[in-house]
Amino acid sequence: MSAVQAKIPMKDAYSEFKGEALYEKFKTAAEALSAEVHRAANLEEARQLVAKLIGELKIEKAVYASSPLVDEVDIKAIGSKLGIVMTDENLRQNAADAGLGISQLDYAIAEIGTLVGNATSIESRMVSILPPVHMVFVRTKNLLPTLLDAIAVYNKNLGELPKYLTFVSGPSRTADIERVLTIGVHGPGRLIIVFID
Amino acid sequence: MATAKLKQEINAALQKDNLKGALGRFGEAYPAAREKAYEGKDFEAIREKIRIAKSYAAENMEKLADQFAANAEKNGAIVFRAKTAQEAKEYILKVARENNVNHIIKSKSMASEEIHLNKFLNENGIQDVAESDLGEWIIQLCGQRPSHMVMPAIHMTRGEVAEVFSKEVNENLEPDIPKLVKVARENLRNKFLRAEMGISGANIAVAETGTIVMCTNEGNGRLTTTVPPIHVVLVGIEKLVAKFEDVGPILEALPRSATGQKLTSYVTMMTGPTAAIDMDGNIIEQKQMHIVLMDNGRTEMRNDPIFKQALQCIRCASCLNVCPVFQQVGGHVYGDVYTGGIGTILTAFLNSFEKAGELQNLCLRCERCKTFCPGKVDIPSLIVELRRRTVKKDGLPMGQKLILEKVLTNRKLFHSLIRTASLAQKPFVKGNMIRHLPLFFSGLTEGRSLPAVASTPLRDRVGHSVPRGKVKARVAYYAGCLGDFVYPEQGEAAYKVLNKMGMEIVFPLEQTCCGIPASQMGAPEVAVKLAKQNIEAFEKENVDYIVSLCPTCVEVLKHHYLDHFKDDPAWRARAEKIAAKVIDFASFVAKHGKDLKFKGLGINATYHDSCHMKRALGVWQEPRELLSKAGVNITEMKGCDECCGFGGSYSIKMPEISLAILDKKLANAEATGAGVLALDCPGCKMQISGGLDAKGKNMAVKHTAELLAEALKE
Ligand code: SF4
Ligand code: SF4
Repeated sequence: MSAVQAKIPMKDAYSEFKGEALYEKFKTAAEALSAEVHRAANLEEARQLVAKLIGELKIEKAVYASSPLVDEVDIKAIGSKLGIVMTDENLRQNAADAGLGISQLDYAIAEIGTLVGNATSIESRMVSILPPVHMVFVRTKNLLPTLLDAIAVYNKNLGELPKYLTFVSGPSRTADIERVLTIGVHGPGRLIIVFID
Repeated sequence: MATAKLKQEINAALQKDNLKGALGRFGEAYPAAREKAYEGKDFEAIREKIRIAKSYAAENMEKLADQFAANAEKNGAIVFRAKTAQEAKEYILKVARENNVNHIIKSKSMASEEIHLNKFLNENGIQDVAESDLGEWIIQLCGQRPSHMVMPAIHMTRGEVAEVFSKEVNENLEPDIPKLVKVARENLRNKFLRAEMGISGANIAVAETGTIVMCTNEGNGRLTTTVPPIHVVLVGIEKLVAKFEDVGPILEALPRSATGQKLTSYVTMMTGPTAAIDMDGNIIEQKQMHIVLMDNGRTEMRNDPIFKQALQCIRCASCLNVCPVFQQVGGHVYGDVYTGGIGTILTAFLNSFEKAGELQNLCLRCERCKTFCPGKVDIPSLIVELRRRTVKKDGLPMGQKLILEKVLTNRKLFHSLIRTASLAQKPFVKGNMIRHLPLFFSGLTEGRSLPAVASTPLRDRVGHSVPRGKVKARVAYYAGCLGDFVYPEQGEAAYKVLNKMGMEIVFPLEQTCCGIPASQMGAPEVAVKLAKQNIEAFEKENVDYIVSLCPTCVEVLKHHYLDHFKDDPAWRARAEKIAAKVIDFASFVAKHGKDLKFKGLGINATYHDSCHMKRALGVWQEPRELLSKAGVNITEMKGCDECCGFGGSYSIKMPEISLAILDKKLANAEATGAGVLALDCPGCKMQISGGLDAKGKNMAVKHTAELLAEALKE
């Protein structure tokens, strides 16, 4: 999690009434980009949801990058329950042949269905870029209305700008051949987003 | 004039159906996709913010470059300031050699294309330099140049790509796009994993934080900046902005304008080097991050009072996507890495002024790109300036020089020559069109008939005219060359309508050419002379309004004249007085002709918006409203505001492109099934009716004034 995150003033953050609308807006926008959007009310629900989603992928190996939310969900335990390899080690090799990568991102932009976060740790990047499926955890309370709001959040604390700040909108795509949209080029072909309230 | 080689390339491009198919389809789909992406956004407000941020950055380029370098170094990056392309290339080679690099992976960078970096590295012993952007990889494999800044391989079909990939992987691949993409993913994945160095470009460089911002869709940018243990960023200093918050409006506009996306799949902002994993799997706490800040002509551009505006460009390529010329000929005709209208200007400073001097001929000055540009770059004006400087340097060809300087500025001689032409053309006229000209003139009539010069020009047909009843205002009529000598019937129709409106009309006989051909051909001093002659002619008549049927003439009289005299206050004041009175016919009738009574014409027509009417004057609703009042039922054609390909002297200089654009217009007009094409520009009429005549079509082409006059109640 970025150091900046803790310092956003309340007015930018999720609040009960506007939160629902933001979530719905995000879901519509992200799905239009071929991302898959899920939501869990609490950690327990999140564990069940994540286990079910990973089970459906029918993979043998997943990699993850440790972060507060990933650790709270206890992804390692889910991996062993499903009987698959779940590792955060030797990622140059493991991420290259894993079927899934799991990491956390810090904010979600409702207007355009984009996730934003500090990806300074090499682990968080390896797991989000190399495998064919990327699963992202994000806290529902960190939904922001617009791209400019997200930029404003970081702009408030430029001294602590993450070294590698990433914005993700849907899976990897190209239209370089005859302008025909094709999903899944160098990055993941599926992006699964799990909001945790 | 275009050289033979350029002409050859144009013809080859026009012959390629693939190319026109791909570009044309994209050109048609693009505006709607872009529109949708901007839904709920205020484009004008966003682009004003970009203009402010980028013009400030251009003004303060050195200061921001210093600030960026200091901050990036504080963040742990190594910054190299390259004055020239050569310095940039040598530095990158040095870094590679010092680190025993044998394999390099690149993500898309126009700056690296600009300096031909791959070729240089190859020649200096680094064989494996792989492009990872799909489009770039395709063209790299077949040894071509990008034809488009954002979509480098847009000129190729899936079949051609399959062929290229088949050769690379030694397998017979089908032309199936998802499969081809998969082949690219697998092949390039290995290259990513074995690369010791990644090279990327940047979309924005933020001075106050030393941050590099990159937009990609495929994910190759993130791989390039993550997997290899050394990262080199090659960035032109025009990418600098002062503040982190300046990133906001650029990110709002760039993807929307480039590909109709609200944001690219990935945006990466790097503020200093991060950790990496070396080839053996060990974590390196801080990898090497080299930022090459490259000038290569940009400072020179900034120091130019006119061309510095081009530094506001954010390289979205929307000016190519909407350019009628680009849609016909594609990017390769431009002969360099930066293509299209903006490419012509960039080429002049980043590559060669000579080359650009030739390429500026490709622009029609239709102004379409200008309305789309998120950086608020006035591309057509910059191209005219390029033309002016080319002429200043090389001089005009003798024939043109003679006509412009000796004939055009001598009204009596000019007009008597036109009258002579009216006699000389006699043997070739059929109806009121010239279908064939002998020998070397025949190029002018290929695919397009020319209108015959009228035997009696407008100036001999009309004069001072007083309305029945009370005089509402005194109007001077400005005919323009075509209106005077080729289409006098349009002027007569206008007189009828104006009279009915209660206008007293005068025709100042000393009026002459507005001067646009001279400005366009790069002879501004001739244009200034003509401006003075016209201003004097109008000053003699004490009128309330100056009305013209030609939107280009109106634009010139109303706007260009003010520019001509920006350093001459006395003439500027005189030009301002005249300009305030100038108005196009349709706007004038819409404003002052509310009482006109029409009988319903009951005809079906389609309406062509001429470039200068719609984009330079912003008039397009008025003629439609007037026509429908006159009982003309309008069926809109596809691309009603796309250029017809005339562009003044363009149709003579670049007849092949002009005709290709015209064909598209004619097909769209015909598809409406209308019997009449209505328009408000004599130049467009010449082009469109010439094309219809040559094809033997009997759709009538009429100026709004003619239709209104027909519909007047006696
Ligand atoms: S000139 Fe304007 S429209 Fe063309 S690429 Fe640059 S920013 Fe985009
Ligand atoms: S003015 Fe028209 S022809 Fe010239 S570059 Fe712009 S769009 Fe193309």
